[in-house]
Amino acid sequence: MNSISGALRTVYGWWWLVLPPVSGVAVMAMIIGALVVAPREIVEGEVQRLLYIHFPSILAAYGAFAVVAVASVVVLWRRDMRWDAVARGAATVGVLFTGLTLATGALWGKPVWGTYWTWDARLTSTLVLFLIYAAYLLARAMADELDEAAARFAAVFAILGALDIPLVMFSVTWWRTLHPQPIVLRPGGNPAMPPEMLLVLLIAFLGIGALAVWLTVLRSEAEWLAKRTAALRAVADRYEGA
Amino acid sequence: MEHLMQLEFLFAGFAVFWAGIFVYLLLLQGRLRALQREVDRLEERLAEAETAAAPRPTPRP
Repeated sequence: MNSISGALRTVYGWWWLVLPPVSGVAVMAMIIGALVVAPREIVEGEVQRLLYIHFPSILAAYGAFAVVAVASVVVLWRRDMRWDAVARGAATVGVLFTGLTLATGALWGKPVWGTYWTWDARLTSTLVLFLIYAAYLLARAMADELDEAAARFAAVFAILGALDIPLVMFSVTWWRTLHPQPIVLRPGGNPAMPPEMLLVLLIAFLGIGALAVWLTVLRSEAEWLAKRTAALRAVADRYEGA
Repeated sequence: MEHLMQLEFLFAGFAVFWAGIFVYLLLLQGRLRALQREVDRLEERLAEAETAAAPRPTPRP
């Protein structure tokens, strides 16, 4: 376990060197690519360029919630509160990117579908995902930083909440929806888009993915610092009370 | 006209996305500042406690 911790610390050190410049360069390339380089989509027009932030955002959210689920399993298994900090940090990033997906999707939907919102399976299951992890964060914010029982309850909730992710992913194939079918990650098929669009989309995955990982690292560190500060405060209170 | 309306929605989408990221970073910065203030307060309390607990020098006859 110590070797794993050592390896994680090394990777973490590298992240600080790699993630900020990679995020910055890839995000700039993504903006230029999305607005200038990518061709105009013939049916939906200019607004289709929102794809380059909308789709990578939900993938970043899936990744963040997967981290929440894995960290929550480790919280239950090893009772290590450092992983609770990781779960909380990743959950905030997941909620952020799910919210951004819903917002950009609404702004894309209005000119194409004629409405900002409709209760179809993809949109509704994504909203449910947002609400599940918003509730998780609210519950964690209301509990004491050092309350391990609250952390374990929250971990169970987070793991159950992750079951909504496949529901969101496969909702467009399981039900008839207004939301389009997959065009990139198609089951048993090549991406249904020109190579220029695909290239910009891959750059957007890299940029928004790196940004999400960086934000998760920052937030998890803040959560861990909050736990350590709360523990120190408790020690100081006891010391002064004695 | 429709082309302009599409550009408005495209601009709004990008603006909302970056505004969201920016607000998140501001909130994160606020949380880190609050934690830094808490650490400073704890350091002050510890310093005061150490001063109070230190043995006083006995006066020489």
